[in-house]
Amino acid sequence: MTVMTTRPTPEWSAMGAVESEFDLSVAFAEHGPSLLGFAVNALRDRPLAEDCVQETFLRAWRSRSGFDADRGSARTWLFTIERNVILDVYRARRRTPTLVPAEHAGELAAEESDPLERLRIVEALARVSPEQREAVVAVHLTGLTYQEFSDASGVPVATLRTRVFYALRAMRGHLEGVDND
Amino acid sequence: MTDDVTDRRAELIAAALASELTPDEVAELDALRAEDPTIDADLADFGVILGSVRSVEMWDEDAPTSELAARVAGIADDTSASEQGADASVVAPVDRAGDGSRRRPTRVGRFAFAAAAAAACVAIGVGGGVMLATPAAPPSGPAGALGAVESVSFDGEPAGVEVDGDVIAHTWGTETVLTIDGLPVGDVYDVIVLDGSGREWSAGTFLGSEVTIDCTMNASVLRPDAVQVQVRAADGTKVATAALPSVAG
Repeated sequence: MTVMTTRPTPEWSAMGAVESEFDLSVAFAEHGPSLLGFAVNALRDRPLAEDCVQETFLRAWRSRSGFDADRGSARTWLFTIERNVILDVYRARRRTPTLVPAEHAGELAAEESDPLERLRIVEALARVSPEQREAVVAVHLTGLTYQEFSDASGVPVATLRTRVFYALRAMRGHLEGVDND
Repeated sequence: MTDDVTDRRAELIAAALASELTPDEVAELDALRAEDPTIDADLADFGVILGSVRSVEMWDEDAPTSELAARVAGIADDTSASEQGADASVVAPVDRAGDGSRRRPTRVGRFAFAAAAAAACVAIGVGGGVMLATPAAPPSGPAGALGAVESVSFDGEPAGVEVDGDVIAHTWGTETVLTIDGLPVGDVYDVIVLDGSGREWSAGTFLGSEVTIDCTMNASVLRPDAVQVQVRAADGTKVATAALPSVAG
C-alpha cells in the first residue's frame, strides 16, 4: 500500500544566494539517531520512520542554501523539517479510512484527540542527549528506581538524577519554544 | 549559586519527582525551597512534562542502520537531489508490502508515505453487523491524482517564518493543508490558489499564532487547473509561495 507524493520545482529565495556548508554525512552522524528516534516513536513504524529521516535529509539538502546558522542550529532546523515530514504522514493517515465497530468509535476518537500534543512531547524527548533520555525513560517510563538503574548501568545515582533534571529543563525550553540546541 | 549547590538542587528536584527523597533529603529540599521559590516552579513544570512523557508509554531507542546512513549519504550523489531547483515532480512508488522485499526509491526524493500499514480493521455492515475488512490504501498516483497527498515546498518566507504544506485533488476543488510557524499573533492571512490564467481562488483565511498552525483550506478550483498556492498578508504582501507540479493531461 503506497501513497505517492509529488514535489514541486523549488524556487530559491534570495536568502539562498550564498550556499551554506551542510555536510550530509556529518549531519547524519550527529543528528541521525535523534531524528530517527523522533520518527520511530512518533509513528511506531520503523520502516516508515526511516523513510521520514531520509526525506528530512533530502529536504534539508535541497534547501541547504536557505539554512542560516544565525537563525538557529542545524539540529533545530533538521527537527523542524522532520516535524513537517511527520505531520505529512499524520495527514495521510487521517485520510486513510479507519473502520471500527460502532461501540468502539468513541474510544478511538478519545485516543486520537490530540496527536499533536503527543508529537510535541516525543520531539522534546528525542532532542535531549541520549544519556539524559535514557535516564528519563528508565525512571519515568520503565519504572526503575534510580538505585535500580544505577546498579544496572554503573552510573551513580546522583549523576542519573542530575541527568533527569537537565533533560526536563531542556524539554521545557523546547516546549516553550526556547531551544538551546 | 555554586556548581555544587546547583547540582544538589537538581538532584533533589529529580528525586522528588520520582518520589524517592529520603527523610533527610525532604528536610534538605524544604530548606532550599524556603530560600529559592523557583524550585516549586520547576517541580510544577516538570511534573506536567513527566505526565506527558508517561503518556508516550514506551520509547524505542534503536540506532540507525548502515543502510539508512547509505541512503542519506546517497542524497548528495543523486543528480536530481543535488541540483537545487531541479524538477522533482516525477513520482515513483515504494513497495511496502511488508514481506521484506520493500524496494527503495531508485532516485532519492520519491518519498512515499505508507500510512495505511495498519492491520485489518472492522467495518460496520449494512444490517448493523460487523465484518472484517482490509483497510483501503490511501489514494496514490501522479500529481493531480484524486485524494493523493502532494507535498509542496513554499519559498519566500520572511526570516523566522516557516510554511510547509500539501495539496490534495478532489472532485470539488483543491484542498490545501498548511503547517505554519512564526507569523505574528493575531494578524490575518489569506490563502490563495491561482490557476493558469492568473485567476485567484480563495481557499480561506487564518490568524497568526504563537503556536504551530495546522490548518486545512479548500479552493473551488480543480487541481489540474491550479498552478500556485500563495499565503498573503492582509495588505496583499506575499508571505510564501508554492509552485504546484503540472498535472498531466
